[in-house]
Amino acid sequence: MVKLILQRLLQMALIMAVVSFVLFLVFDSPKFKKQLAVNDLGGFAVATLTQSDYQAWLAAKGLNVPFYERYGNWLVGIAHGDFGRSFQKNEDVGFLLGRALVKTGILAFWVFALMIPLALVTGVFAGISEGRVQDRAITFMSVVFTSIPEIATAIILTVIFALGLGWLPAKSKGDGLEYIILPVLTLVLYDFGYVARMTRASVAEVMTSQYIRTAVLKGIPYRRVVMKHVLRNALIAPFTVIVLQLNWLLSGVVVVEVFFQYDGFGKLLLDAALFGDLYVVQAATLAAVLVAVLSQLISDIGYTFLNPRIRFS
Amino acid sequence: MKRENETRLHPKAAEAKDLMERGRLSRRGFIRVAALTGMSAAAAYAMAGLPSPAFAQDSKLPFVDDPEAKKGGTLRVAMEIQKMEDPANYDWTQMSNVSRQIVEYIAFTDPNNVTHPMLAESWEASDDLKTWTLNLRQGVKWSNGDDFNADDVIFNFTRWMDPAVASSNAGLSTFAAMMEEVDSGEKNDDGSAKMTKRMIDGSVERVDDHTVRLHLTKSVLSVPEDLYNYPTAILHRDFKAPFSDNPVGTGPFELAEFAVADKAILKRREGPYWGGDVYLDEIHYLHYDADNQLTAFASGEADAIYQFGIEQMELAKAIDGEIIPARTAQTLCCRFHVDTPPFDDKRVRQAITKAVDNAALKALIFPEGGDVGENHHVAPIHPEYFALPPLERDVEGAKALLAEAGKENLEITIDIGNTDGPWHQAVAEAMRDQLSDAGIRLNINVMPASKYWEVWTSTPFGATAWTHRPLGTMVLSLAYRAGVAWNETNYNNPEWEKHLDAAEATLDVEERRKLMEPVEKILQDDSVMVQPIWRPVYTIVTAKVHNYPPHPTQYHQFNKVWIES
Repeated sequence: MVKLILQRLLQMALIMAVVSFVLFLVFDSPKFKKQLAVNDLGGFAVATLTQSDYQAWLAAKGLNVPFYERYGNWLVGIAHGDFGRSFQKNEDVGFLLGRALVKTGILAFWVFALMIPLALVTGVFAGISEGRVQDRAITFMSVVFTSIPEIATAIILTVIFALGLGWLPAKSKGDGLEYIILPVLTLVLYDFGYVARMTRASVAEVMTSQYIRTAVLKGIPYRRVVMKHVLRNALIAPFTVIVLQLNWLLSGVVVVEVFFQYDGFGKLLLDAALFGDLYVVQAATLAAVLVAVLSQLISDIGYTFLNPRIRFS
Repeated sequence: MKRENETRLHPKAAEAKDLMERGRLSRRGFIRVAALTGMSAAAAYAMAGLPSPAFAQDSKLPFVDDPEAKKGGTLRVAMEIQKMEDPANYDWTQMSNVSRQIVEYIAFTDPNNVTHPMLAESWEASDDLKTWTLNLRQGVKWSNGDDFNADDVIFNFTRWMDPAVASSNAGLSTFAAMMEEVDSGEKNDDGSAKMTKRMIDGSVERVDDHTVRLHLTKSVLSVPEDLYNYPTAILHRDFKAPFSDNPVGTGPFELAEFAVADKAILKRREGPYWGGDVYLDEIHYLHYDADNQLTAFASGEADAIYQFGIEQMELAKAIDGEIIPARTAQTLCCRFHVDTPPFDDKRVRQAITKAVDNAALKALIFPEGGDVGENHHVAPIHPEYFALPPLERDVEGAKALLAEAGKENLEITIDIGNTDGPWHQAVAEAMRDQLSDAGIRLNINVMPASKYWEVWTSTPFGATAWTHRPLGTMVLSLAYRAGVAWNETNYNNPEWEKHLDAAEATLDVEERRKLMEPVEKILQDDSVMVQPIWRPVYTIVTAKVHNYPPHPTQYHQFNKVWIES
């Protein structure tokens, strides 16, 4: 197990090094620097600056040195907790990233807190009633919600709860709980169907296994069979899926964050990418890789605990 | 002509008064001319026999109290919050809307398109419009306690004309007329000397602590108008960028909090303010992307918004709020590089403009409000607009021109940045359908707005949004004179420039309108652009917001805005 963890961490470091290096390389082109200058100074200024003034601007931004040198300085900076400065927002990248991660963390917490119980309960219920009306109803609902794009769900919820009933703010610009309800609901509705269907499939499969039939035939109460024998075995697959949703919640919810103007990680990354805000893109990418690899690692470790038949050696 | 000496009218104002009395000039037109020549708004309105609006009742101040106003409260405005680095380099109005509450301008163009003194108390123009004397307001204090004086103005004027600052103000007629071309010391690719423009020594004269005189190389009509252009805010003489870190100003508000893409919190200035009462305690600019502002308003998260697009009109009508429309000279120029193939062939350009039906595009995109563009970038609301015969679509004529040029089955690509909203793309799509009737295939290359500003001057065919300017001549000078920085078409026509020079040297609107005929006609015939629409702009406020200015440039000047609790 320790070897697995070390292997994964090493893998993670390697991915981060390669990704960050490639990003520096790509963003080092004169075209990119020009675009950054346009974003920073405006199209007029860049069109009229003399070469020497443009060079002075590059020097002021630290862009006049070779990229490997900048890359080295950047790595040294990170070792000291300095992720650089945002060109667009004139703030420390560490501060911007931290703030966005906290916001997205809050969003993810509420999504998980609602989605997991909802998905598991409905999935298990559908699985143990396979083929019956309850199963078909739950499956139908799951497919419907998962099929509707997040943007459509977001619009429908906004029209009903914010513009129609006036119960909730349409945009998530405040700090209160009411500002987060609509984005959380949108994500829960979109995601719960997927996890519920995974759970249902897993439970339905376990329900047909011989040991469950044996347990039922032995006369063990049905409730106890489900709780003790079905769930333990059926939740292994959903567990993996749920952990991997962490990654999706970090960088896959840009549409929802932008729609609700929620200043989370996805929106930060999108803004930075459109502006060419190199250091923000770099730091955000590293954070995304970190979360992706860590969630994979947690998933693997959890899997071994839940399923004694699997051992990494 | 000094304001204190109103009995002696500037010759141009006297001519205008005569024209008004003979019924050849509207009263509002007279007020415009009188204000331009330095007459106080109160005197001009009185002379025109019109009731004086609030801002003109007291000639000492550009803004006058609203007796019904209630003091206090916070105005929440939904708008994009962008970086405030150097106001002289602003390229988005939204940037200036936050800083306009903190720093001020020499002049102020009101929502009626009439310009008044602001940080200047008055101005005097020589008869040939080549020498302008700015009499600066006394008793104005910077928020750091310093006195505002001529040094501040000279500091700003000088840096706007510094090539290293690269301010777009250098392209304004006023400042272009104080600059000369010199060798930059660098070489072009072909080895020739690279030229740059810089301020002519002595063109900005410090007469005394509160008087600055401008010496122009040619007659310029629009000096006061230029001095309310959004990048011409007067900064403190010790200004160091970024402005958001050093927000010293003469204005009624101070920057309390600022975060790009988040919010800008402004609080009413603690110290004395020269411009009279200010009602709002605070202004909260809250960051909402353009598409989200109306929804934020609808759910009560903002009291006002920067703007909403025509595609959101039905939603706006369904919301409880006051829709404020403004007729403008804002437009979209689908312009060609006239020296890049295939657009270097005038017949090709003419074929494209003939194949497009501007009136149909306007009706399709902006069924409510707005005006049809006529491919010459002078708007019907400009005082000097000359009405040419309406453009007629001529598909057969377009085909014939293409055949003559040997360009049948022409395929072209337009770059679209949607910098002013998705209607840019809608225009391009409608153009594509119309052009196909003439056998022209139009490809549409849509890119993010920020990407478009990277290529806006270099793309051979692109759709660029141009903001409102009070006079038609202003934008023509900025955009179509040979060699000016914002000449995105590479248009170079000395004969046309002569006509424009003549128009720019003529204060009398009636005379100027006559001179505008060849200016508009030549530009239209040269088919430099397809310019189908003068767009209206819309904003919306709640019923509790008062005096919210429906400015055609979407400039926010909130001195007299007040809000019911």
